[in-house]
Formats: sequence, C-alpha cells, structure tokens
Amino acid sequence: MAKRKRLGSGDELPHLPIHLIVVVFLVYTVYPLMWVVSVAFSGQQTLMFVNLPPDAGTLDRLRAIIPWPSHFSFANFTSVISDQPFLLWLLNSAIVAAATTVLGVFLATTSAYAFSRFRFPGRRAGLMSFLVSQMFPGVLMLIPLFIILVQWLGLGSSRIGLVLVYATTAIPFCVWMLKGYFDTIPRELEESALIDGASPATIFLRIILPLAKPAIAVTALFSFMTAWNEFILAATLMNEETLYTAPVGLKFFVGGFSEQWGYFAAGAIITAIPVVLLFMFLQRFLVSGLTAGAVKG
Amino acid sequence: MSEPATTLAAVPGAGPGASPGGGRDGRHVGRHVVRRVAIGLGVALLVALGLQLAAYQQAATAAARSQERREALVAARAVADVVSAAGDDSAAVTAAVDRFGSRLPAVERIRVIDLASLSLVASSQPDDGAPRRLGRDEKTLYDRGQLLRSNRESNVQEGLARKPLALLERGAGGRLDVAVPVSEDGGAIRGAVLLDAVPAVAVRPPAWWVPLVLLAAALGLLLAAAALFGPRRVLLNVLAAVLLVATVGAYGLLGAGRLASDRSDEAAAVGQRLADTLATARQVTAQPAALDPAAWDADLLGRPRGEIGAGGEVDPAGLERALSASRARLVKLVAAATTASLVLLLFIGLGGAAHLGSTLRKHREAYLYVAPAMLGMIVLVFFPFAYGITLSFTESNLYNTDKGITEIWVGVDNYVEILSDWKVFEHTEDGLLWRYQNFYWTLGFTILWTVSNVAFGVTVGLFLALLLNAKGLALKPIYRVLLILPWAVPNYITALIWRGMFHRQFGVINQVLALLGIQPVSWFEAPLTSFLAVLSTNGWLSFPFMMVVSLGALQSIPSDLYEAARVDGAGRWQQFRSVTLPSLKPALVPAIILSVIWTFNMFNIIYLTSKGEPAHATEILITEAYKIAFEQYRYGYAAAYSTVIFLILLVYGVWQNRVSRATEAVG
Repeated sequence: MAKRKRLGSGDELPHLPIHLIVVVFLVYTVYPLMWVVSVAFSGQQTLMFVNLPPDAGTLDRLRAIIPWPSHFSFANFTSVISDQPFLLWLLNSAIVAAATTVLGVFLATTSAYAFSRFRFPGRRAGLMSFLVSQMFPGVLMLIPLFIILVQWLGLGSSRIGLVLVYATTAIPFCVWMLKGYFDTIPRELEESALIDGASPATIFLRIILPLAKPAIAVTALFSFMTAWNEFILAATLMNEETLYTAPVGLKFFVGGFSEQWGYFAAGAIITAIPVVLLFMFLQRFLVSGLTAGAVKG
Repeated sequence: MSEPATTLAAVPGAGPGASPGGGRDGRHVGRHVVRRVAIGLGVALLVALGLQLAAYQQAATAAARSQERREALVAARAVADVVSAAGDDSAAVTAAVDRFGSRLPAVERIRVIDLASLSLVASSQPDDGAPRRLGRDEKTLYDRGQLLRSNRESNVQEGLARKPLALLERGAGGRLDVAVPVSEDGGAIRGAVLLDAVPAVAVRPPAWWVPLVLLAAALGLLLAAAALFGPRRVLLNVLAAVLLVATVGAYGLLGAGRLASDRSDEAAAVGQRLADTLATARQVTAQPAALDPAAWDADLLGRPRGEIGAGGEVDPAGLERALSASRARLVKLVAAATTASLVLLLFIGLGGAAHLGSTLRKHREAYLYVAPAMLGMIVLVFFPFAYGITLSFTESNLYNTDKGITEIWVGVDNYVEILSDWKVFEHTEDGLLWRYQNFYWTLGFTILWTVSNVAFGVTVGLFLALLLNAKGLALKPIYRVLLILPWAVPNYITALIWRGMFHRQFGVINQVLALLGIQPVSWFEAPLTSFLAVLSTNGWLSFPFMMVVSLGALQSIPSDLYEAARVDGAGRWQQFRSVTLPSLKPALVPAIILSVIWTFNMFNIIYLTSKGEPAHATEILITEAYKIAFEQYRYGYAAAYSTVIFLILLVYGVWQNRVSRATEAVG
C-alpha cells in the first residue's frame, strides 16, 4: 500500500456510490456479529432481543431486528462461567491447544530443519508424502482414527488422543512453511560455526532456532488456532461432558433440543475473541502461505 | 555436517563376473559377498527354524494337555453313565464310585452330587463323609451342576449345541476339575459327577538340537559351495535360497511326521484308557446296556471326536480327518516362515541390509531429526489412511470391530452398492419422489454447493476488492478490517449463529420478512430454501478470502498498463477485461482451486446449519459419509464412501494441476 499511483487521475470513480455499496456489504458482514453480541448482552436465553407482543406494530417489529438489546446485562457471561461448566471446557481447549502447539512446533521445526539442511535418501519422498497427505479427506481419516484411538489405544474421551491427532495433522503445513523459511537463512552462518567446532545440535538450537523466531511464532499460532477451532474430531471423540472442548460445549448449548442461545452467544464471544485477534495478526502470512500452492481442505 | 565414511558403503556389490582371484580388491569384495550371504542364510534360518521350533514346542504341550483332558472326560463320562443307570440306588452309586476311584489312574477324587436334594451322594474319598448335604463352602460344586443344567435347557430350547455340556477347568498345579451331568431317563439333568485329575501326561518337547544341526549343515554346504565356485554373488544367493527352502521344508516334514505320530499316540492312549474304563464300568454296573462309550471321547459340547470306536480301537479314517486340519495349519505356518525368511535372506545377502545400515549411519543426524514427525505421520496419518482404504472392502460396523479383517471381507460390495444405485428418484402414487440419500443426488448437490459458493465468493470478493482499490478512498483500512472479520470467526460459530438467525419462529430473518409483510419461511423444511440458507452462511465466511487475494493482486498491477490501455482508447470495461483480469489470474487461479477444495469439504456449515435437512436433501458428500459412520455405525460402507470422495478429489487435483500448468504456459 506504499505507492498510491494506480488509476490515472482522469479516470477516478466517484467515491460516494462506492461508500454506499460497501456499506451495504458491511451490513451483511457485521450484522450476524452484532446479532450474537446483542443476544449475549440481552441477558436472555431466547433468540429475540425484545419480547414482541402479539399485536406488534411496525415500530416494534423494527425494534426486534435492530441488533441492540433493550437493556444491557452481563447475566449471560457471569452465569455461563459460574453456572455452566463452560470454564472447564475453555480450560480443556486451552490445555489441548497449548499441548498441540508445543508438540506441533517441536515436530515441525526438527523435521523442517532436516528437510532444509540435510540431503538424504527419502528426502524428496518425505516432503512429497507430506504434501499428498493434505489430500486425504478428513472423514476418511476420522473412521480409522476413531477405531485406532478409541478401540485399540483406549484414548477415546482423552485429551492426549486429541493432542496427538491435532499435532500430526498440523505437521505438513508447518513443515513446508518452516522449511521455506529455513531455506532463506544463509548457510555461511552454520559453516562458520561448524569450523568453530559446533555440533549440528548446537547449530540447530543456537543459530537456526533464534533466527527463525518469526516463522516459528507463526507456526505456533497456526497450530494453536487449529486445535482451538477444531470441532468435529473433538465432538466425535469426547463423550464425557467434563472433557468437552469449547467448540463441543458451544454446540451442546444449542444442539439437539436445548436452545440456550444466551449461553451460546456469551460463550462464542469468549471463545472467538482470542482467535479473531490472532487471525487478524496472522492473515497476511496465511494468504501468502496458502496461495503458494498448499491444498488443504 | 560430519559424514563418517563407512567401509561397507564404499564396497560396491560384486557382480557375478568378479573373478575369485582378481587381485587384492577382488578378494576383498569376495570376502564381503560370502560373509553377507552366510550371515543372511544364518539369520534367515534362525528366524524360520526358531519360529517352527517354538510352534512345535507349543504343539507338544498342547497335545499333552489335550490327552489329559480327553482321558479325564472319558473317565468322568463313564462314571456319569454308571451313576445315571443306577438311578436312586445310592448304595450302588457309592460302590461304583469307590471302585472307579481305586481303578482309574491319575484320578484324585470323584464326587457325585444331587441338585434336587443339594447333597453329596458319594465320594471316592472316605474323608468327605458322603452321603450328606452340601456345605456352605461347597456352593461352587452346586453352581457347576446348576450351570450344566441351564446350559442343557438353553441348548434344548434353541435346538442346537451351543453351550458346553461338560465343564473343564485347570486349577493350581495343572489339576483338572471336570464336571459332567448325571441325567434322568428323560434326559433332564439331576446331578453331576465332579472329577479331579492330576496331570499325568508328560510333555515330549521337540529336540532342540535338530534345527541346530540343520542350520550347521546348511551353512556348511553354503561355505563349501563358496570355496568351490568362488564368491559369486548371484550364484551364492540362489544357492542360499535353495538351501533355506530345503532346510525349512525338511524341518517342516520332520515336524509333520512328529505331529502325525503324536496324534496317533494320543488317540491310542485315549483309546486304551477308554477300553480300561469300559471294562471297569461293565463290572460295577447292573445295566451294561446303559453305557454309551461312543460318546465318552467327545468335546465339551458333546460332539464325538470320531477318532476312537466304542471299544477303544482307533479309527484311522477319523484320525486322518483330525490330522489333516492340523496339517493344513502347519503348512500355512511353514509357508509363512519360509516367505519371511527368504525376504530376510535376500535383503541381507544381496547387500540391502548393509546398504540400509550404512545409509542410516551416514545420515543418522538427518533421520534423527525427521524421525519424530515421520513417526507421528505414519502412525496417525498414513497408517489410518491405508487402514481406512482396507476397511472400505469390509462390512465393518460398531459390533464387529474385534473381528479379523478377513472375517468381514466383502470385496468391492460397498463400492458396487454406492455407485450402481442410479435411482435418484422414483415414481410413486404421490408423484415424483427424490431419493436424497442416493449417492448421485448427494454428489450433484455437492457440485452445485461448491460451484455456487465459489462463484459467489469470487464475484463478491473481486467486486469489493475493485471498490476498495479506488484511489484515495476514505475509511479504507476500517472497511478492510470489518470485511475480513467473517473469515476470522471460527466457522463452527458462524454456522451456529446463522442456524439461529434462520430459526423459523424467533429467527431474525423471518422477523425482517414479517416487517416486509412476507409470511415466515420454514427455511430448513424444503431443499431450495435450505440450500439458500447454507449458501448465504458459507458465502458470508468465504468472500473475504477472495477479497484479500484480489486486493493484493490489484495493488501489484503497475499503473503504466492502464495508462497504455487508455492511450489506446480503451474504456473502463475494456481496461478491466484486458488489463485487470489477466493480471489477477496468477493470484486468483490458485485461490479458486483452494476454495473449491475448501468448499467441497466444508463440513461444519452443512453439519451444523442445515444438518442435511430436509431428509438428507442438503447433505454434501463428507457430511453424508460422517453420518453413515457415526449415526448408522456402518464403518466399512462409510470408508468406501470416503474413498470415493478421495478419488473424486484426486481426479480434480490432477485435472487442476494440468489446467493451471496450461494457463501458466499460456500466460
């Protein structure tokens, strides 16, 4: 956005219609978000912000669609935290996501380093196999994973099972991303360290890792978001209510026959805010990484 | 990176033409060839012969135990026949039990209990003080009698022999506790004979030195051949393979002979026991006709083995039948051991193992770094994938996952069931009826879903990008951030929000319609409205990606191009077509490819917003596969369904790869 010389000065579009059109789209974009915020702060469990009388006039009806609660209340937030096991579910999500991040970063940095710096038989095959694995549809993996984790390893309803699966599914993207970054670090740095008698392990820990901090941070955040946002595997594996992650718990509020939309909205806001902020920070890395040729479904 | 040179890796495999005495190098190479082949043969034989030895050891133990069991069962059934025939004559029962107790070898104690009176009728040990009521601590005896009775009753009810009519347990020190029923005239169970036997048959283990001698002989022959023909790689490997097969086969033949002789010894011993027992039984019973010695040597379900005649003589035909089953198992074992060891031999003998070892050693640093991630990928990605494909050829479901793959193998039946069902709709009295769970309906809906979503995303995204790209637009950063928001919100939350907004009674969308004077719509009760609902949901979260990609690409278009176009007299639309679109192509094509795959696999929106309603009409392929697996629990069928999805994606991937390469070539 540095240079502002695109269209010639004589070819300028009038700005007012642009603003009008963009605002129409802004309504489409922002309305659902405002809606969830209003439900959360309405203090009620229903989908409506105001209670409509049976003979509601146009003004009442208009009032019913404006996403602004008739009176503000933190009741949904306080009771979703204190009366519902939502805090526990958030904690589960946090534990799973943190463990996934640590394990995922460890697995991705070590192997990305090897793929970047060593030439060994199987290197190309390994890299290609990581790429190909991105084509496996999730559901095809879900059935055997369910049988392996639940019936063979006894890891159903366990955080360890979730962490293992999340960390490995995040590997290919992270490895490709980190390998690309490691490739840009000049080899001269390592060669001079090698002459000084440093071992490869020292080089990896003392030279490469500190230099690759930005890429590792992005990888870590990506792993974290993958684990934090994952719904279907957690919903399939976690049968005990105390072990639900936040996404499964949010579905629990409004799935089936329960209609606790207030709890859902408050919980959704609490769950989404960290990842929305993270995403805003990360999106430029994601766009360049994704369009560079990854095919992740 | 230190790369320790290894001697093995430095030696190229010598061809068959390498001369035995061709200088120092030749001798050096030759020693390696002979050593490798010898080690290969040794290791392979150790594995194959060791496996066989272990199997024979196990078979010998099993044979001894089986003989003990059969002898104990013969004795117990003989006593039961005599006791049954004696009826209520308790003096006769006592006398018979005493006689049997003193005559039967290896039998420690014989007790007879009566279920109706809860009493111990007779015992071969005077200390037991029979007859008397059963004590509290003897409840297990009663329970065993009761179990036999209920087993017989359920067998009679079902009309088949499914539950055992003899109980056999091995107690401490290998002691056998046998329980067989005592019947009344009508066949009803009145009591039980409980017989305790001590293990009396010695295990005759296979000789451990036989395989060692065979191994030494084979190695000796190999080394002799090496000395005779020189270190010729191919020749020696072939020779080693022949020696391996011959040795394993020879040991297998020995084992088969041993198996046959063991089996006939066992049958002869049991037959002898049966004859002895029959003689005793004839002496002690008043009704020799009531004895049924043909049923004594039977399995626990009461099915006669057919190896021994009523007088204790061995029936060769019956023995042969029993033998052939064991022999088939042995052949399978030997074949498996031979194949495995042959692979091992050739792997070592042809230098594969040395090569692998040296590669691993030379690059051990690299493999060490790759290993954790690779291990994780293999265990939790590649193996499950292969296992999923395998499952697709079975009828695996929730209830048979403990069974072996071969037991539930159905070949391509699942695929045929999915792909050959062309009836997307049927004609009924009510008119045309769509079958929403048909694969082709779901496939068609998935394609419609994908195409319309991507078209929506590209159109809206590109349109907004063009607008935001206007020079000097005020508030642009704010617009950009707000318009990206839907992409940032986790999509399961988006799905649930929209599910709420489309709620028939309280949803805000029907409130808006009411304001406009339109009747409320039941969004998820008709395929079309349900589709519109999920389309607007997914459109909401998917256009920002396209917008960001287009915006990035638009900003990289140099303004000179537009200048030049204007100089040529191009209007705005012409500029868009000849400058903007071609410049966007390199960024848009990968983004479209990506979003096709994303949308095709967009599980959460369908699963949580429309839930496939009405009646699976708005199900896409992967949500349908999920429901087959986790709502109908048909794992095998769902795996086949998912494999079909994978193949569709694969074909798409190959196709788009070709297309994007072609566009690159043209651009």
